[in-house]
Amino acid sequence: MSFGLLQQAVLSGITNGFVYALIGMGMAVIFKGSRIINAMQGEFAVVGALVTVFTMQALKLPYALAIVAGVLAGALCGVVIELLFVRPMTRRGASEESFLLLTIGLAFALAAAALYFGGRDSHMLPGFGGPGVLELLQATLPVHAAWLMLAAVGVVLALRLFYTRTLLGLAMTAASSDADGATATGIDVGRMRLLTFLLGGGIGSIAGILVTPLISMNYQMGIGLTLKGFAAAILGGLVNPLGSLFGGLALGLLESLAVVGFPSGYRDVVALSLLVVIMIAMPNGLLGRAGRSGG
Amino acid sequence: MPPLHRSFGLVAMLVLLALWALLPLALPRHFLDMTNFAAILGVGGLGVALLLGQCGIVNIGQAAFYGCGAYASAYCTTTLGWPAAAGIGLGALISAVLAAAIGYPILRLGGFFLALATLAVGSIAGVLFFEWDWLTGGTLGIGGIPKLSLLGWSLNTPERYHYFVWVVLALALWLAHNLVNGRPGLAMRAMRDAAPAAEVMAIDMHRLKTAMFVICAVLGSLAGSLFAHYVSFVSVQSFTVERSMLFLLVPVIAGAHSVGGVVLGALFVALVPEWLSALGDFHQVVFGLVLVLVVTLFPAGLMGLAGGLLERVGRGRSTR
Repeated sequence: MSFGLLQQAVLSGITNGFVYALIGMGMAVIFKGSRIINAMQGEFAVVGALVTVFTMQALKLPYALAIVAGVLAGALCGVVIELLFVRPMTRRGASEESFLLLTIGLAFALAAAALYFGGRDSHMLPGFGGPGVLELLQATLPVHAAWLMLAAVGVVLALRLFYTRTLLGLAMTAASSDADGATATGIDVGRMRLLTFLLGGGIGSIAGILVTPLISMNYQMGIGLTLKGFAAAILGGLVNPLGSLFGGLALGLLESLAVVGFPSGYRDVVALSLLVVIMIAMPNGLLGRAGRSGG
Repeated sequence: MPPLHRSFGLVAMLVLLALWALLPLALPRHFLDMTNFAAILGVGGLGVALLLGQCGIVNIGQAAFYGCGAYASAYCTTTLGWPAAAGIGLGALISAVLAAAIGYPILRLGGFFLALATLAVGSIAGVLFFEWDWLTGGTLGIGGIPKLSLLGWSLNTPERYHYFVWVVLALALWLAHNLVNGRPGLAMRAMRDAAPAAEVMAIDMHRLKTAMFVICAVLGSLAGSLFAHYVSFVSVQSFTVERSMLFLLVPVIAGAHSVGGVVLGALFVALVPEWLSALGDFHQVVFGLVLVLVVTLFPAGLMGLAGGLLERVGRGRSTR
């Protein structure tokens, strides 16, 4: 293994890590706001990416507008799902398993819908900043990957500011950590949960749109993205979008370095084994603060 | 109300039994293929149903054990030339040991986390089945798996397999019924509904859960062996996460609390997509939505819905 190959492995690991982090952040946002693990977060990414692809192809919209359409589509999915399914089930006091089964079922339905409307083909989007590559020491990085990293950091910072500095963000946190107390201070808990799903769906779409210039997107990619994103979120402690960033990076690096020692087919085995071990051994994630139950 | 229930149940049972016995005479082979597949799904789904209904555990990794059984049967009978029973036994043994080794640590988790851990286990198994092509044949698979035969009677047609596989499912259901209504079942009910109380009564919950996970895996492995000997060919496409989902759907659709509902759930999962397939690719969307609607509207599944209707009818009569 030469030094150059190692550098390349580290770079691609970091790139993948940011992708997992973006998916994980969406899951963390939804878990933070609703105590639901969203097993269809990867499908938000698929929807966002495919809507962007098709608005560009069919409506001939400029890239920027198509991206807006894609993000809106994901956010809309989140809102519709909250209104149609999560809200009635919450009112009934449904169990944790029912919510998991619901999101699994929705993942199934959305993947099928993506197949029906989008077809079996894989699609790619043009990279931000063109198709060029950056040369770093002895390795290369697509220009788009740099944009992806910047965007991911931007999303994390925006979320951080939103949850700690804005009244709405604070209200959303309050609504999920103590629903009765929040209601008593005049917060509409139901509306906060709706906004949570809107935000989660939007972030999921952003993740999908950012990935698609690097990895071609098709209807059945959702579940894989969900699992990796969940691993990132778990590593980061689940309630903390910033934690997802660290979790995603750790996962991405570990995966790509494992490929150095194992055949490349075992990449997922490494990542998923790590997920299981971390869940058992470090229930609060790598950062170890706040924990799964904390606000 | 009980007498009405019981006589109705007996009549229904006899009618179903007669229908089952006559089914191969009346139906085309294509349809029998699907009902045989439903029975195989039922055997594996029963394991998932026991976990979900008795322990409240969502298992999204049953295809791992289904694959273990299928590959054990395939490898032992083709490459090693062993008798079929040895392959089935070895698959069950491997699955049981694996389930104990995996279950012991992961069953400390609960709820969402446990469910995703099982999903991870299923995905890892899928990758390993693909990568270990010296054992599994990878995407090319293993062909030429011999048909089962009982006392010199080869089960080489769907009609013959029909009479075998449904009896296996019935036996498994009967054993599960006894388990659920016996001491372990009571302990599990206590564990599910009042965990602290169960612990006070000296029920070792972790051991009980691990034992149930092992039973689930053995049933999955048995289903895999039944599948391998039925279709004579196995490849990685049969042991994906989607297959694990099908096993999970069996109890979800029919209602996890009734062991008998497994039959209904398995028939639903095997037949409905086939009927919907006239809609083309759109049928998967419809199937997904049906699933979502069942989860949202009928949390007790179709059996719960039927039970609720029966109760309503009964109540209506008694008030009159």
